[in-house]
Amino acid sequence: MSAAPSPLDRVVEAVLTAGVFLSGCLLLAGLLLERPPLLRAGILLLLATPVARVVVVTIGLLRQRDWLFALVSLWILAVLMSGIYLAAHVGRASSRELARITERER
Amino acid sequence: MPDHSTWTFALTGAATGLIGSMLGLGGGVFLVPLLTLALGVPIRAAIAASLVSVIATASASATVSLNRGLVNMRLGLALEVATSVGGLAGGLTAVLLSQRQLFAAFALTLAVMGVLMATRSGRRNIIADPDLDPGRLGGRLEEDGVLYVYRVKRLGVGLVSSLVAGAISGLLGVGGGIIKVPILNTFCGIPIRVAAGTSAFMIGVTAAASSFIYWSRGDVVVPLTAAVALGALPASLLGARLAARVQARYLKIIMAVVLVAVAVRMGAQAL
Repeated sequence: MSAAPSPLDRVVEAVLTAGVFLSGCLLLAGLLLERPPLLRAGILLLLATPVARVVVVTIGLLRQRDWLFALVSLWILAVLMSGIYLAAHVGRASSRELARITERER
Repeated sequence: MPDHSTWTFALTGAATGLIGSMLGLGGGVFLVPLLTLALGVPIRAAIAASLVSVIATASASATVSLNRGLVNMRLGLALEVATSVGGLAGGLTAVLLSQRQLFAAFALTLAVMGVLMATRSGRRNIIADPDLDPGRLGGRLEEDGVLYVYRVKRLGVGLVSSLVAGAISGLLGVGGGIIKVPILNTFCGIPIRVAAGTSAFMIGVTAAASSFIYWSRGDVVVPLTAAVALGALPASLLGARLAARVQARYLKIIMAVVLVAVAVRMGAQAL
């Protein structure tokens, strides 16, 4: 069962395939060679893949002049970005907290 | 060489990725209990590993669905708006519900969906009239050389369920596909394969929204997460291809069995 994929379907497929393939290679190499930096890079690349997918869809819809759905896609991008911003913030806050705790224990 | 626990985690990721990708799920709904109950992984590490694995499974199976034209992108985008709001709301309202109430509500919803899915497995959502207007969010698909049309019904139900799915996702470390796929199929008139493809397209983004926060809090245990995700990747590519060979009717029956099984386990945890 299938239908003809649209040009935008093709582009998104290529982006996801690249993300999945590259992160898969990094994870495999990291596990076999026991290199944690490669593993971290592989995981982060995997997390970045949906973000790249939203960026590509947004650009595609803008180029199709489909303003309503481009706006919808921009909204999703904004939510993702606020998640990343929050993560950076939370990360900094918790490492500060950790530094405080270790200092107190000394 | 990696030790045996790496292989166990990779195999676990492969098994949940295989079943998940066939049905348009991320597999998190099986992965979190397997990691915590069977393999003794702490809950936060299990949720974080599951979110990453959901992204792996959803991204891999979405490539197959996109290639076959089984992703309804505009419908997916519309529902993602509700999901992302739900994700934010879930984080804020999580304190209002106890874990037990959450599991009980989840179990009840899934059990009802499972029964609905099983009793309606013989019904088709597609109309063999290629000239019929699919509407703004509907679409067309081809099966055995015949062009079919489907229209989106009850979009409101789809939006509300996506909101709920988003809220549950961040809390339990799942993608929310287990709620979206049955609702899209039984209530919104979306053919099961398109429901699965569109769900796979969406849940990677749902999981990504909260996964960065888990990452920065240091909940992602790198070797564990890497092994699970690496197992999930090839298994999901395989599962999504395998699903194309299974009749829509049997896909719905598999989905019904999965729903009831997860409902029983969740219910047991709520008691």
